[in-house]
Amino acid sequence: MPESIKRCVITGMGLVCALGDDAASCAASAFSGKSGIKDVASFATDGCYSHKGAEVALSDDELCKDGYDRTTLLCIKAAGEAIADAGLDIDSEDRKRIGVILGTCIGGAASIDKYYTDSYEGRAADKNDILKMPASAIANNVAAHFGLDGITANIVNACAAGTMSLADACDVIRSGKADVFIAGGCDSFSSLAYAGFHALHALSEKECSPFNHSDGITIGEGSGVLIIESYEHAAARGAKIYCDVLGAGVSSDAYHITAPRPDGEGQMSAIRRAAANSCVDLSEIDYINAHGTGTSKNDEAEFLSLNTLFGSDPDLSVSSTKSMTGHCLGAAGSIEAVLTVEAIRRGEVPPTVGYEGDDFEVLEEKSGGIDFIANEKKAKDLKVCMSNSFAFGGNNASIIFSKEPRDIKNAGNTDPIYITGIGEVTGVMAEGASDYRADLSPELFKKHEVKTAFLRKLDRFSELVLLSGIEALADAQIKVDDTNSGDVGIVVGTSDGPITEIVNFQKLVIEKGIENGSAFMFPNTVYNAAGGYLSIFTGIKGYNVTIANGFQAGLQSVMHACEVIRRGEEDIMLAGGTDELTDIEHELYENAGLLGNGKDSGIVLGEGSVSLILESAKSAEARGSKKYAQIAGYATARHSVPYDKMTGTEDALSRAIGEALESAGIKADDVSVIYGFADGISIVDDIMNSAVSEIFTNGVEIRNVRTETGEARAASAALSLARAAKDMEGLTGDYAMAVSFGAGGIYTAVVLKKA
Amino acid sequence: MNEEIAEKIKKMLVERLRIPEDELEYDSELFGEDIGLDSIDSIEIIVGLEDLFGVDMSGSGKENFQSIRTLTQYVEEHKED
Repeated sequence: MPESIKRCVITGMGLVCALGDDAASCAASAFSGKSGIKDVASFATDGCYSHKGAEVALSDDELCKDGYDRTTLLCIKAAGEAIADAGLDIDSEDRKRIGVILGTCIGGAASIDKYYTDSYEGRAADKNDILKMPASAIANNVAAHFGLDGITANIVNACAAGTMSLADACDVIRSGKADVFIAGGCDSFSSLAYAGFHALHALSEKECSPFNHSDGITIGEGSGVLIIESYEHAAARGAKIYCDVLGAGVSSDAYHITAPRPDGEGQMSAIRRAAANSCVDLSEIDYINAHGTGTSKNDEAEFLSLNTLFGSDPDLSVSSTKSMTGHCLGAAGSIEAVLTVEAIRRGEVPPTVGYEGDDFEVLEEKSGGIDFIANEKKAKDLKVCMSNSFAFGGNNASIIFSKEPRDIKNAGNTDPIYITGIGEVTGVMAEGASDYRADLSPELFKKHEVKTAFLRKLDRFSELVLLSGIEALADAQIKVDDTNSGDVGIVVGTSDGPITEIVNFQKLVIEKGIENGSAFMFPNTVYNAAGGYLSIFTGIKGYNVTIANGFQAGLQSVMHACEVIRRGEEDIMLAGGTDELTDIEHELYENAGLLGNGKDSGIVLGEGSVSLILESAKSAEARGSKKYAQIAGYATARHSVPYDKMTGTEDALSRAIGEALESAGIKADDVSVIYGFADGISIVDDIMNSAVSEIFTNGVEIRNVRTETGEARAASAALSLARAAKDMEGLTGDYAMAVSFGAGGIYTAVVLKKA
Repeated sequence: MNEEIAEKIKKMLVERLRIPEDELEYDSELFGEDIGLDSIDSIEIIVGLEDLFGVDMSGSGKENFQSIRTLTQYVEEHKED
């Protein structure tokens, strides 16, 4: 009999959104059907057809005085409440075992707006705003605020990010790599999102009315944070337990970059996967907090999905709390998780508000036999509840909470995982140029039968991901079709994401007004659009996540993908790192004072995308795959410092290398080659050299991909591993290692073994 | 057909919708096999034409969006000098 997986429990909650400044006041409003939607106050909406928003009344300073981007400040506010609610005394805990995983859609959009507005209006742009822009900064800054040294990640899958971050936190705890997570999501109210949804005509003119008039969304802001910990840890410290988090399901539509599949296939796949991973039968689910955005496309697809899966189940209640909180994008799943846990605690289902007159009759017709809760809460003993989040890019996520402990059998295994395909897109330095840029001419895509009509939609970041992704699949001789589309997944790692498209969109809004955003560009401003396009082009319908976490995200993505295979969720994962380079990034890095000669005065920028095919032993045997190398071990370690610092984090690098060696079951002497991360930033290079000479006392050959392709950030991290894999055959020993760092003091090391 | 208007529309389509200039003729079928535009692109075209000529095409029939030629005709008929 397979063993059971570790219980993960929720021991604390924090919430800030338009409904209130803490979980108690938000819940009091939500369960009494009071909406937080008002007229937008953050900026003028005079030229727009809609003026509604769900904003948090607190100013940046009232949230937290740390001076971070508003998205981070919202999260610190909610996280502080959650930690206090959980009675978690960080001083008496092992800080290395407490991590932070957050979901965000727009990341530092407020800081991007401020930086370019200052510049447009003739003021000096503040270089401190540059480091507040990437989503990568958020989890590390939250960890630094609370002095936590555990694993971090920013899950940037747009409107599904808040739910996926909770699932990820549970997965890491269950793998034994942490005891506690500050998990959730956060997003601030931004001109970026408002102008984008306005351009798409996806904003509701009045307060949004999901599953009712379905004429658009109302955007909100906020953060929901849950303290998730292993049951053993919670019990040992005598913590109160709200409920268990069971399993989650993640899928991709492989259909359209903004619209959900009308047949609901992807949504139903996520729901089924969540139920299977929770060992729960669909008939046991008492309440679903629906995605329920209020757009006709979402609501129709979700009605269809729920009706198809749950038929006329009279025991299932459904509602959308977005009717009161607004759609808080990357925070939505986390806010809805808090309200769902609160529903279990109270024994009450929160309503969808905004129904009047004939609306009730229409709802009854559309809802089939399912009990849609309109306007007023309903008392009900809730044992098993689900929360759904569906996002741009066709990403779907469902997660299940349980009032009582449930036994979940471990479906995973510890069989070897191999690298069976590699796709590399790297930059070259043109004559007279000062950085390395990739050739992305249309012919390269036409070779892979990418049509113009598809290709022209893609921004540079998406082009990079697509090209390396299809080359990796081709290298591994994988053809995705109906027989295997659900068995293949994607993990995109990035430091800076699609920053060029984001900045270009933001500049347009600054220059032409919020009412003149570009419907064409907006879908590409979400970090997970690239992974979405890759799934649409290839037909991959499995797991799909994008992680933004500094340069090392290109290796962290590989670790993440291996864990998905270990859990038995997919046979094949496509994982790697991508970062783009245009004049916009060049200027931002220059203004941040980070550029130099690549040796001792700063970095020389590069760009690229490197995708690795990771495959379970079973699948590799069945397909007769060529094996570059075996993934022998890996580890991530952190020591909290602010996002713009690295000093004092040597110990974390030593731990990452040491733990990776330990997980591979080898000693430092067994490693023949290490691919390092020296890039010309003296403090970074010193940390690497001192840790390597300390650990590899008998010497080790150090190789570095940046000397030929520049600092391509997450792409360089993944390229290090790809090159190590390709070098394996010629090595004298059996093992090689790739190491990378990320701003904020995070390091990942991956060990490869000859296959 | 007013060539000046047509050329402006072509430039707008190339810039806003990243259509390769060499693949775009005045009679290319914008929403069909040739170029493959979709509903998001049509929103962008409406904004682009409003911006260029002050002509509002929202709610106007699909037949007007067929090609640069039909868009030009619509603009010519509805443009206020």
